[in-house]
Amino acid sequence: MNEWIFPVLFLVPVLSSIPIALAYRREDIVRKLPPVSVAGIFISLVCSLYILFHEEFMDKSFSYEWIPQLGIDMVLRIDYLSASMGVITALIAFIIAVYGLDYMKDDYRLPWYWFFFNLFTASMLLVVYSDNLFLLFVGWEGLGIASWGLIGHWYRDDDDITFVGVPERRLGPLKLWWPPSLGGWRAISTIRFGDVPMFLAIAAIWMLSEGHNLNISEIDWESLFLKAGTAGTIIIFTMFLLGLFTKSAQLPFSEWLMTAMTGPTTVSALLHSATMVAAGAFVFIKVSWYIKPWHLHDVPGLEFVYMFVLFVGLISALYGALVATGMLERKVLLAASTMSSLGLMFGTAAASYWIHPDGINLALLVAFWYMAVHAFAKATLFLVSGHLIHATHGRFSEGDSEFAMKMKPAFAATVIATTFLVGIPPLTAYWVKSAMDHVFEHLIEHGMLLPFLLLISASLCYSAILARFLSLNFFRGGRPHHEHVEGCPLMKLGYLMMVSVVFILLYVIFTHEETHEFVAAGLALSSMAVGIAVTIAYIGAVFKPRIETLSKIGTFFNDRMLLPALNDVISPAIGFSVAKAVNIGNRGIDAFCNTKVMPALFDMMSRAIRAIQTGYLKDYTKIVLGIVMFFLIMGALWGVMP
Amino acid sequence: MIFLLLVPLVAVFIAPLLSPRAASWLSSIAFSVPFFGVLYYLFAGFPPREIIFSAPAPVGEFYIFVDGISAIFSLSICAVSAMVALYALPYMEHRFREMGVNVEEEFRKYVFIYNLYAASMLWLVHCGNLIMLYVFLEIMLITAFLLIYMYGYGNRQWVGILYLIWCCIAGVLTLVGFLIIASENGTLSLDAIERVGIVAWAFIFAGMIIELPGLGPHVWLPWAHAEAPTPVSALLSPLTVGLAGYIMLRVALIDAVFFKVFTVPIFIYAAISSIYAGFSVFVQTDFKRLLAYSTVSQMGYILIALCLLGAGGEAAKFGAMGVSIQYMSHAFGKSILFCSAGGLIALFGMRDIEKMGGLHDVVPEISNAAVMGFMNLAGILTVGMFGEFFILRGVVEAFGMNLAYLLPVVFIFILSGWYGFYTMRKVFYGRPRSSVAASHMSAYLFVPLFVLGALSVLFFFPPFSSAWVPELFKAVGMGGSSVVSGGVSASAAVGGGLLP
Repeated sequence: MNEWIFPVLFLVPVLSSIPIALAYRREDIVRKLPPVSVAGIFISLVCSLYILFHEEFMDKSFSYEWIPQLGIDMVLRIDYLSASMGVITALIAFIIAVYGLDYMKDDYRLPWYWFFFNLFTASMLLVVYSDNLFLLFVGWEGLGIASWGLIGHWYRDDDDITFVGVPERRLGPLKLWWPPSLGGWRAISTIRFGDVPMFLAIAAIWMLSEGHNLNISEIDWESLFLKAGTAGTIIIFTMFLLGLFTKSAQLPFSEWLMTAMTGPTTVSALLHSATMVAAGAFVFIKVSWYIKPWHLHDVPGLEFVYMFVLFVGLISALYGALVATGMLERKVLLAASTMSSLGLMFGTAAASYWIHPDGINLALLVAFWYMAVHAFAKATLFLVSGHLIHATHGRFSEGDSEFAMKMKPAFAATVIATTFLVGIPPLTAYWVKSAMDHVFEHLIEHGMLLPFLLLISASLCYSAILARFLSLNFFRGGRPHHEHVEGCPLMKLGYLMMVSVVFILLYVIFTHEETHEFVAAGLALSSMAVGIAVTIAYIGAVFKPRIETLSKIGTFFNDRMLLPALNDVISPAIGFSVAKAVNIGNRGIDAFCNTKVMPALFDMMSRAIRAIQTGYLKDYTKIVLGIVMFFLIMGALWGVMP
Repeated sequence: MIFLLLVPLVAVFIAPLLSPRAASWLSSIAFSVPFFGVLYYLFAGFPPREIIFSAPAPVGEFYIFVDGISAIFSLSICAVSAMVALYALPYMEHRFREMGVNVEEEFRKYVFIYNLYAASMLWLVHCGNLIMLYVFLEIMLITAFLLIYMYGYGNRQWVGILYLIWCCIAGVLTLVGFLIIASENGTLSLDAIERVGIVAWAFIFAGMIIELPGLGPHVWLPWAHAEAPTPVSALLSPLTVGLAGYIMLRVALIDAVFFKVFTVPIFIYAAISSIYAGFSVFVQTDFKRLLAYSTVSQMGYILIALCLLGAGGEAAKFGAMGVSIQYMSHAFGKSILFCSAGGLIALFGMRDIEKMGGLHDVVPEISNAAVMGFMNLAGILTVGMFGEFFILRGVVEAFGMNLAYLLPVVFIFILSGWYGFYTMRKVFYGRPRSSVAASHMSAYLFVPLFVLGALSVLFFFPPFSSAWVPELFKAVGMGGSSVVSGGVSASAAVGGGLLP
């Protein structure tokens, strides 16, 4: 067995970006080194493909000792999920890296960019393959720090094109524009809020599991939950889910994702497709894969947890799709749509609790497949919008059919990516979405109609917003103020390569055994009805991307229903009022001990003592006599005492 | 073993004879020797203790030893002292010129006191007798006082005396505690003491809580750490204060009765202290003062971990490991950060963060080093991750799934990440708030910081962590088995219940 492949897979991307990081002072060398970093990712891609196509890796764990005494080891698990997701991650990262060679060509701080780009990829691969929860969390933290570095890459905050929102637009105390350095801070602050509770959950799992095991595939989850009790199970899950929800930008932690668009487009593309936000949903699918909640209906608390995830996911899906209907900024619109997709992934994966399969749980499989299709389609759309921003020098959607003709590859890629993603029959996502409908129809049998309704409304809305993206950039967005359509061959190559993968996925759906249920679901009448509705929404939005009479509500949606206030007004207000209060406390203690009260007391004492020392003999005689008297009286009292 | 410790001590006396450059390198090498020595022991096994001499009761044996706990403290002290010694070369030259004194001559005095200061800390963690430990504690306090008094900023003499008074109170209280131990046990030799009474503990705790510091006594720290010359801040904050945690840990490993009796009050005090100081960070305008408050907050972690020793069983083990690892991670992180702040002082004379912003443009090296520093504090991909993980495990072991205990700890860890990256943005990113010109920067001002940063990452990954974590685990075994048993620990069984 070629186990050396794992160190290569994780280390080469990081190591290959160290030369450029070290050469940071030599601009001439730095400009030549990005291909080395890209090559590092390419090697990872080759490794991940090797793992996928070699049966001997499948359903096995590979363990490297770290601290075996404590159950902290580097355990990697190759299963259906990780083998496929590894390739998805590496492939998308590689294509985006190639695109980035063009896109970032003239940018500043390239060593920083490439170092964190490669760290980002390696971290995600670690999250994907690792079975040990501690090792997984190492990758998880890597994602967090790398995303911070990349979102705030343009740290100078000096270029309007890197901002999110309309400069100087305010609503009361709320500022509705965000520079990159603020975007980075919002990301890391939100993510830390989830990471630490997740770490706590891992520590609790570590304590409770049989033999203090941390390996997801080996833990006896049922006995663990029973030992933890109802409250314990709910607490552990809630803490764990905080980590997943913050990373995957589910409500109410979605804000950072919107302002993450201050990063370079390549970063947005990577962030939104195969890394970071996908990590949250992926880990949930992976953990559920091994917990097998559908067998654990006698565990108290578990149904509540899965119900909770189901609704957080579906409500986030609807929220994301709704707010996107009011958005005009290219990347932010896509960001909101990503949030929506992730919500669907969470919701679908959570539905696995109520599905009783013989083999692979359909709900988990659908959630995973939707993640795959979404990854390639969404990455394509981001790469296209990067090219559009380059070509029009603007972040806001603009473009007409004449512009579309000048940007044929971008136009074609957008048409393919949007139609293949929203679920128009018989294109790729249709089959996946049909299976998703099928899963939620099954929930109706359990008396839950609301999830199905939420799914359908989110899907329709979703279809409309991506059509809107197409329309506003290529048909009805008006003449661009600036056009610069030449060049950028690697960028075109990038998104064309990316979009071509959705055809391969379509082929896989029809040829692989585990996805035959997708085809069966797609041929069902109800699915076709949904498919037709989605198509109508799509076509409608292409022809009428903006509705003037609804502009007020559109603005409200564009302001993301004022959710930014949570990050920018409410939390800081609470935090700073506490900080100011404790600072007053500090001053008080300081004044008491160091500067005012105690020194003054010592001064008084010292003055009192010095006051005795007058230099006159009569005063000293009085003092001595006084002391003698005192002792005489004490002695007398002592004598008379019984 | 003892020869390793003698090397820095010899350097104390030789370095003043040399030129500043040679003296700095000599100091650095002198502290690297015990660093590599201890590292070697980690992989090859620890040597037996070496008795220096045996005093009659109630003093007992004086000996030198190294175990998993000492090794962690020792490695941190050596690494930071060695790197800061190099950093100090341009920094102190700058400071002496600023003060208008003869650089060469003043550097001799400085390097003597500096090395003595650092060497006393190193000896402190290897000595096996409480009286000896007290002597090194006092040497450490006095040398640090001298450095602040002579080379500090602002109202340095006042600050120096302030520091001295607080630490004298701390020292005397601790000494009283040690003496009570002596009278109760007839010895002060660490491996011979059998029990520590609650009264002795009360004195030691009171003394060390000033030194650590906890909320209340913490007010001396921002003065001393902010006004000390930066190389001294870079030892004071990362190394010195945490040694209070070391002393309490050593005593608690013998007899944790105090933490057993007061587990909950100490936990509450530690949590409030940490959160309080964490919030204080956000409103500081002086960069070094900001870092000083962050130290108080980080020391709260140590106190939380210490009070887990009172819970006994697995919780105690993980608490003790948490103390040690948190010390190391804070040492690496905070020394990097103080040196970064010092770099800005040396280059631009800037301390007020309200005037900073966008500094990454001019000093990318310092900015990137600061990122590593804050990563250490927040426990991201550095040794601090083990620290956080073990403390969390200990807290769960001790208190079960009781949110009243879990949430404060979680919030403290979150807070460290928050103020770190908040400060990063304010100081290094965004639009510049005042204009500074790029100037030439000596490599001494940033290369040592990256060495420390690299160490903090390397120590997290194998093979290093595969060596030091198990050794640490052995050292905190407290008489129990040295390896986690295959079964479920007794305390684990309480997991589900909502314990009071």
